[in-house]
Amino acid sequence: MSSTSQKHKDFVAEPMGEKPVMALAGIGEVLGKRLEEKGFDKAYVVLGQFLVLKKDEELFRDWLKDTCGANAKQQGDCYGCLKEWCDAFL
Amino acid sequence: MSSFSNMSAEEISSLLDEHGIKHGPVVDSTRNLYEKKLKEAMAKRKQAKPSPDKTFYREEEEEVTYVYRTPTKSENFMESRPYMRSKPEWTAEELEHSASYSGYSRSSEYRGRDYDELSHKMPVGAKTAPIRSGQDAPKAPKSPRLIPLWVQFLCFLAVAVFLYFVFSSMESSEPLKVIE
Repeated sequence: MSSTSQKHKDFVAEPMGEKPVMALAGIGEVLGKRLEEKGFDKAYVVLGQFLVLKKDEELFRDWLKDTCGANAKQQGDCYGCLKEWCDAFL
Repeated sequence: MSSFSNMSAEEISSLLDEHGIKHGPVVDSTRNLYEKKLKEAMAKRKQAKPSPDKTFYREEEEEVTYVYRTPTKSENFMESRPYMRSKPEWTAEELEHSASYSGYSRSSEYRGRDYDELSHKMPVGAKTAPIRSGQDAPKAPKSPRLIPLWVQFLCFLAVAVFLYFVFSSMESSEPLKVIE
């Protein structure tokens, strides 16, 4: 099991509430800004997209890449973060 | 098919299913992604299709053309067995007619085929070219040759004869023993 970042651990530790999209693992300032411009200004909106894509890894990664230009690592981090959060709280 | 934006969500959904793409509901936020996926899938299909189809179609076309012509040319003994022509016959024929026909493009055309037909069908050339798909099965049906085949055979024979000559004219018989 690959090690997860502190950001990841913080995110999956509690319900996301109104956390900004930059709280997601893999999403930094640049990507966060791009997502906000597209209307995904909160983490739960990205969660919504994640759920609409049926929590499918490939679909979500493709979507993330198309929407904000995330690279493979960033895609993976974000996916892993949301997946774990869903496993815990959904 | 190319304008996905005109399609309804259900149509896109069914298209995705057709291509075997796993997907969720087609909503505003997911539509773009699915349209992209469909484009990729269709492009892939198009790429995969043309090659096998083309080959078959061409071979079929040639065979059909040839069969149609068969009855009219009774004088040519090769007509009766297009696929069972042995190589020596073919080479001999090549030798015969390579003199009258110049240019490798032509030679490649009648390489397996009747030159008579070709003189009538020059412009349509490629059609009757490698009709002996049966005979040419082992090698590519239409490989363009810069040097006519008979020339290559001649060269080979010449080299073989030369080597034999050199070999036989050697003084000592030691090599012969070694080879044995």
